[in-house]
Amino acid sequence: MTDLPTSPLPALLVGLPILMATLSLFFRTRGKALVGLVGCLLTAGLSFIAFAEVTRRGTLIHILGGWDPPLGILLRMDPLAAVFIGMTAAVGAFISLYAWWYFRAQESTGGAFPLFWPLWLFLWAGLNGLFLSNDLFNLFVTIEVIGISAVALAVLSGKVAALFAGLRYLLAAIAGSMAYLFGVALLYGSTGTLDIGLLGQALEPGPATTFALLVITLGLMIKTASFPFHFWLPPAHSSALAPVSALLSALVVKGTFYILLRLWTEVFGVSLTFAAGQLIGLAGAAAVIWGSWQAFMQTNLKLVVAHSSVAQLGYLLMIFPLLVLAPGVTAGSADWLSSAWTAGVYQVMAHAFAKSSFFLSAGIIIMALGHDRIESLRDLATRMPMTVMAMGLAGVSLIGLPPSGGFMAKWMLLKGIFLSGQWWWAPAVLAGSMLAAGYVFRILRLAFAPAAEKQTWRPVPVALQLVALLLALASFLIVFPADYLVQFLESSKIFGSGVETIVEGGGDGNY
Amino acid sequence: MSVLIDIVLAILAVYLALQSLMAPRLSQSVFLFFAFGLALALTWIRLGAVDVGIAEAAIAAGFLGVLLIDALRDFSPAVSEKQEGADGTSADRSTKDTKSRLLPSLALGLGLGLFLLIAVEAIWHTPKGGGLTALSEAMLAESGVEHPVTAVLLNYRGYDTWLEIGVILMGLLAIFVAGGVEVYRKPRVLVRDPLLRQVILFFTPVLFLFGAFLLYYGKSGPGGAFQAAVLWGATGILLHLGGWPVFAVIPRWLRQLLLTLGLGFFLLLGFAFMAGGAALFEYPPAQAGVLILIVEALAALSIATALAAIFAYFNQMKDEPNEIESTT
Repeated sequence: MTDLPTSPLPALLVGLPILMATLSLFFRTRGKALVGLVGCLLTAGLSFIAFAEVTRRGTLIHILGGWDPPLGILLRMDPLAAVFIGMTAAVGAFISLYAWWYFRAQESTGGAFPLFWPLWLFLWAGLNGLFLSNDLFNLFVTIEVIGISAVALAVLSGKVAALFAGLRYLLAAIAGSMAYLFGVALLYGSTGTLDIGLLGQALEPGPATTFALLVITLGLMIKTASFPFHFWLPPAHSSALAPVSALLSALVVKGTFYILLRLWTEVFGVSLTFAAGQLIGLAGAAAVIWGSWQAFMQTNLKLVVAHSSVAQLGYLLMIFPLLVLAPGVTAGSADWLSSAWTAGVYQVMAHAFAKSSFFLSAGIIIMALGHDRIESLRDLATRMPMTVMAMGLAGVSLIGLPPSGGFMAKWMLLKGIFLSGQWWWAPAVLAGSMLAAGYVFRILRLAFAPAAEKQTWRPVPVALQLVALLLALASFLIVFPADYLVQFLESSKIFGSGVETIVEGGGDGNY
Repeated sequence: MSVLIDIVLAILAVYLALQSLMAPRLSQSVFLFFAFGLALALTWIRLGAVDVGIAEAAIAAGFLGVLLIDALRDFSPAVSEKQEGADGTSADRSTKDTKSRLLPSLALGLGLGLFLLIAVEAIWHTPKGGGLTALSEAMLAESGVEHPVTAVLLNYRGYDTWLEIGVILMGLLAIFVAGGVEVYRKPRVLVRDPLLRQVILFFTPVLFLFGAFLLYYGKSGPGGAFQAAVLWGATGILLHLGGWPVFAVIPRWLRQLLLTLGLGFFLLLGFAFMAGGAALFEYPPAQAGVLILIVEALAALSIATALAAIFAYFNQMKDEPNEIESTT
């Protein structure tokens, strides 16, 4: 892997946000926000440059410290990493702009929260580092960076409810990290390397590898809030401030899903069995139905949106049973693999855009009303048509109606399900969409209903509503470059030979 | 004989951990946690990882212990009242509780036991991979240091260490963020004991020098930035306890500089060499030794400042409620 073109860009993608975060600590409230916003926009710009560079030159690497793996650490920006980094940059830039006006509007009432900026920049550096990492221990360090900054952001408001939810989030995150680290120690002990590429070649099936697979998968599932470990997500995501909720739901939980995807396809090929894929798929299907049902039962807007995240993350796990092939099936005949990949990547992107938009809209409503009880959303359509539009569009993408990115994801998932003959997953996908329609239309119906009681609507800056609307629109626009994007991703190692590893292991399994 | 020591240590560590979790009083829990940290430190030394042993003893038993005792002092009036009031009346309720909790805890215990058995089985069957010890020792000449652990931490995998220094800074920010809560806050009476102050004044230079020695010794043996940082941090805490609130005296920009110096210099040095065409955190072998020592010294200074600032923040918070803005 060390013969690929080197570039300083991967190192800058981690270094720049941390430099700006450090710099912002020297300023007071206003300056901190300004340096923070500039840092966010620079990081986003750098991410787009790096994305363009990968489309031009292919996979880029950066050998940190000049030491080749296994001794040193290698940063690898392949097409999959580039897509995740580009998505983080797009969503992150919009949320940063929203945060700038959001904290500005509340500055006079003590709601400036300047520490948001350094923490968010650290979080961004952690996410970029995670997507670029090619080393199991370095991945652990990046999930620590992400975990601590995410928890700090979740409790930023200082409210007691947020602190309780944040503590629970912290404990879940630590439990997940420790399980992951235990698995990493086992793998290092048995192979003497931490580099993902070298591990994929050196790993041999056996009880140690299977156990490492088990604890690493469990640890990452806890951090991704997969069913049945989703308990920490709704309180933590719903009690945070609006821009933070958007960051946590759109980006943070995707990080550990990305590791899971990488490790299952690039490292654990030898230990995966058909049953393992079915089991993780079952967790995903359960999350889709349970999360959607819970979302439907909530009476507060942010809790609806947070429970909906549990469900939408479930779809991501449902691509694993399609990627692990049944005994006797070869990659050549498995024509559903590219559908499954596309479904996964599009679900990540569509959910990131739609969910961040939804949370930002919820923040706008809280700013206007002072609370987020669904019953009080009456008359919203005449008061704030732009926000209703944003919630409608984001909702359509969450349900999976055409022509949204969510539709693309769910359609490709169904296509993969039927092509592979694993029809038993289809009812869960359809039921999830029906329930999503239920909770989205429940909100929209009230928004268009005439006002029943007099309530005061405080003014909200138009810029906030515009950002939420643009993010919702983006969840539709991502469909247009689909052909190009799928082609770009298929040039990635993980899309090509990564799948082969699974096929080899999935055929005979171990013991 | 050594196997016997290992078995006793293993049992002791688990026993102390369990006791610390199940102790009826918070103070017992804290002191058992102390003992647990020391048992773990001994275990690390038995495993040949003296560096980790020192860090474990200093951070887990030392620094965490200071914070826990500090927390205990605030908790104790509220908790002891509750316990005294509850001791007499809740006897029947507690027996009921134990009954209803028996089944879940039995299931949990069985599950944990099974998990442990599988884990032991998996570790037993782990094939020997050899690790990277030989390779990292072979490359020592180019790394600029003579101790493989320091070479791994500051050169081969300097990127990880740099991110970990960032994690410590973020931990401090997280504490500032969460510190806004007003529960359990009560005024603190400062100790103004002349003897204590003299002892602290005597120990300050000694601790500082010993930290500097550990830092320099890291080049060729167990020691380094994190171990030195704990000693320097302890110096700050002692000064604070003795009535010299170091963090209130120095100007804000200096405080921020001390906190961010480790992370910032590490990165800027990396960027400087990157501008010259090298990779991030790549040092020319001839100067690597000196550069690593500077990076370590500044990192130790920042970590020490962060540790002392965490302690000072908790004390300060109780004295003057609205100090968040000036501290951050």
